[in-house]
Amino acid sequence: MTEKEFSLAELAEQAGLPARTIRYYISRGLLPGPLKAGRRAAYSEEHLRQLRRVAELQAQGLMLAEIARDLQPAPARAPGAMAWWEYEVGDGVRVLVRGDLSPWRLSQVRGAIAEMTARISSRDEAEGRNDGHGSGSFNAD
Amino acid sequence: MAMGPVALTQTDKTGSFTAETSTGQPLALAMQRLWLTGRIMPFGGRLLVHHVFRSDATTPVEAVYAFALPRDATLRRFLLSGEGFRVRSELRPTEDAVHEYERGLERGSLAALARTYRDGVVNLTLGNLRPRETVRVLLEILVGVEAHDDGYRFRFPFTLSPVYHPRARTIEASPGQGEMELPEDEFGDVLLPAYVRDASALHAVGFDLRVEWAGAVLETGSPSHAVRVRQQNGGARVFLAADKSAPDRDLVLDVGGKGVNPAMFAGADAEGKQRFSAFLPSTSFGRGSAAPRQVVIVVDRSGSMEGAPIEQARRSVEACLAVLTESDRFGLVAFDDQVEFFNKHLVEGTRKNRDAAHKFLQKIDARGGTELTQGLRAASKLLASGGDVFLLTDGQVGGTEDIISPAAQTGIRVHCLGIGAASQDRFLAQLARSTGGVSRFLTPRERVDVAAVDLFAATGRPVASEIDVRGATVNPAPPSCVFADTPLMLFGENLAEAGALHVAWKGGALALPRESAIRCSGEMLRLLQGARLIADLESGFAEAPANFLARRRERRVNARLRALSETYGLQSREMSLVAVVEREGDRPGELPETVVVPVGMPQDVRFEAYFPGRQFQLMGAAGAVAKAREAWLLKGVACAESARLSEGVPGVSLEQTGQFLAMESTDSESRLLQLCLDIEPDGGMPGRSVADRALRTLVVLLAFLSDGHTPTRGAFRAHVTRLLEFLAALDPGTLTAEQAGIVERAVNFARAGKHPEGEWLSLAASRSGSWREVDSVLPAA
Repeated sequence: MTEKEFSLAELAEQAGLPARTIRYYISRGLLPGPLKAGRRAAYSEEHLRQLRRVAELQAQGLMLAEIARDLQPAPARAPGAMAWWEYEVGDGVRVLVRGDLSPWRLSQVRGAIAEMTARISSRDEAEGRNDGHGSGSFNAD
Repeated sequence: MAMGPVALTQTDKTGSFTAETSTGQPLALAMQRLWLTGRIMPFGGRLLVHHVFRSDATTPVEAVYAFALPRDATLRRFLLSGEGFRVRSELRPTEDAVHEYERGLERGSLAALARTYRDGVVNLTLGNLRPRETVRVLLEILVGVEAHDDGYRFRFPFTLSPVYHPRARTIEASPGQGEMELPEDEFGDVLLPAYVRDASALHAVGFDLRVEWAGAVLETGSPSHAVRVRQQNGGARVFLAADKSAPDRDLVLDVGGKGVNPAMFAGADAEGKQRFSAFLPSTSFGRGSAAPRQVVIVVDRSGSMEGAPIEQARRSVEACLAVLTESDRFGLVAFDDQVEFFNKHLVEGTRKNRDAAHKFLQKIDARGGTELTQGLRAASKLLASGGDVFLLTDGQVGGTEDIISPAAQTGIRVHCLGIGAASQDRFLAQLARSTGGVSRFLTPRERVDVAAVDLFAATGRPVASEIDVRGATVNPAPPSCVFADTPLMLFGENLAEAGALHVAWKGGALALPRESAIRCSGEMLRLLQGARLIADLESGFAEAPANFLARRRERRVNARLRALSETYGLQSREMSLVAVVEREGDRPGELPETVVVPVGMPQDVRFEAYFPGRQFQLMGAAGAVAKAREAWLLKGVACAESARLSEGVPGVSLEQTGQFLAMESTDSESRLLQLCLDIEPDGGMPGRSVADRALRTLVVLLAFLSDGHTPTRGAFRAHVTRLLEFLAALDPGTLTAEQAGIVERAVNFARAGKHPEGEWLSLAASRSGSWREVDSVLPAA
């Protein structure tokens, strides 16, 4: 049984998205181009499913640039894209921060870490085991 | 030219302009050039924006150019032209316009759509631009200006500022190129540009404008661009001195003339109806009262304020606090995505409280998001018994309609001092106006602190209230109060032939006879009035409201917006502009590639404030660089970036560099600001004895006077008044008869608005100067 075919306008209506947005997705590689070009350009149910996948990924907090990248065949990509910043805030104390926080959240967290570092190092100094500030290092797990 | 009588002094000279990168390689740009022409009057401007689109792609392109509307601005129409065609836009309900555009695209025709979204962001979409085809879009736009008693400031955004929104997402999608996405349920299908760290290879921008004033234009300048000015028939022609500029900041123009008496501009519109605009400088009213005031200063400490803006804001607040008396009460609130109070209650303007406020300010660094609503709510709680808010912000926030409408309901006046290279002028102007306040918008490279002191002097002290206008139909309604250096501006019609416009306020009245009016285009007056009404209505109400009641209100607002659009023939959220051109050889069903025209990251906003390099964190190679930056962070240096540091002194943090620069500044305004900080709450300078304080106060007073400030003129007029109050209140018994005589003569001298000879600024700064020196410069009794 052959799959149903849509025009761009029909696809837009089915997906609840403006036609311009769909064209933009195609241009960015989030969606394949139409099955046929020209006057009878057509889109399939697969297009519709893909649009729903994109919407789901967006709802999970991914941006179009990230979704496009994930859709690329990327053999060399390291498994588990999640990255963490590791901060050594004092002797024997490390803090992990998710690498993909929003900038304002990240700067807020950095402020807290700087305070924590200062507090721990001042205690260390008082106890005579000052080894300076912690330095950040980077791990991708 | 098919579009109206706007004076065009320059049109595009370059047909197939191609931008080049610094390596000389041509860059594939869908839009090559944006040029601004038109005419600006004290009550607003009528502009033509020339966009030149040309694609070097091998397939058709759909180009989207996103831009921000200036203050009180609305689009009127556009002209689409290319080889063998010239088509005007039509104003249609947005849904119909989108449909028309899509149908045109489906047929393979060239189609253009201009549509306004939230926050005054417009998407100009040009579909089916063929390979190597050049298409021009000439867009007519009506704009407002920031009016002053003796001139006006005009701003036009050449870039779009990224904004904070709790649900916005950002990413550095490729090196030096950031992307931002706003939630679709709130912002619709608006497409935002990519923000490019280095704007030099982007489309060229420029301008050639005619500026006018009620009298002769005396002064024209720009803090943003190098301009050339030619005086012409009382007005001036202002154009870019270079052949092009980059889209990384607003164009800011200051036009100054002689302070004028109340003036009226009038003329007949296209239907023969008489229209007018009245311009009443604040000096036509009384003087501000000296009653104690209650002010809460609200400082935006969001990440985008980092660097020059937050430094400017801190200095500004300190200078403002120095104006307060012990009977004034103040509050201080700093916000990002959290709110911090200096004190949970308003406090008196005592020295002790000011010193404590100074310590509080020192700890204020730029960091998180911009939850402006929370900041304003906190301020309004402090001002439960009424008062004014003085807001310092870059205004880089999204969903502004949701901020304006609750702020207007608190009944507290909000005065805005905007700091930024990319304008949120439209938002701050509306926030101030809807609450009955005043707004100013500066670039971070200007003397923000001096402007702050100037605006703060007017805060809480209207020169006129209970404004009532008779004799004509005035729309929009006049504000309830007028503040120093902000004229009362009115648009209206139906002024009787031999009649006059009667303006009354508490304690005064004046009449402006129609026969005194300066003649101008009535059509321009009509369009600017329409633009103002649409901007006022649009910015107070968000689309897609959450609950039933709000939805019902939204329907009413949208119906009004549509009616305004139809009446004035102007675009709004409800009505969009569309044009479709059928060309020979159009191929139906061809799918164009959709590209969004990138813009430059606004000058003085750190790229990393919005785009922290999320993607590159995931790659090992960049880790080392990122790590070095993190190490800085942990040492307490506020996001010092190596590139920025290298411009300063090696090993010195940005913060220290800032202090170093502040110490270095030896211009007179910096020195006056420094003096301001020492003024005691009783208005006098500190000293060991009464006589010593009197002498120091006299020397500082003469320093202000010698720099052109008087009790009624200049940015430091409030400080001069405070010094005079102290001197006038001195008990003569604590001074010798000779000293008391000198004080009295100095007070009279200052009140007469006179300026002394001599190096008083240096004497004041070095804490020197003697009774004899003061005596010698004052006229004999």
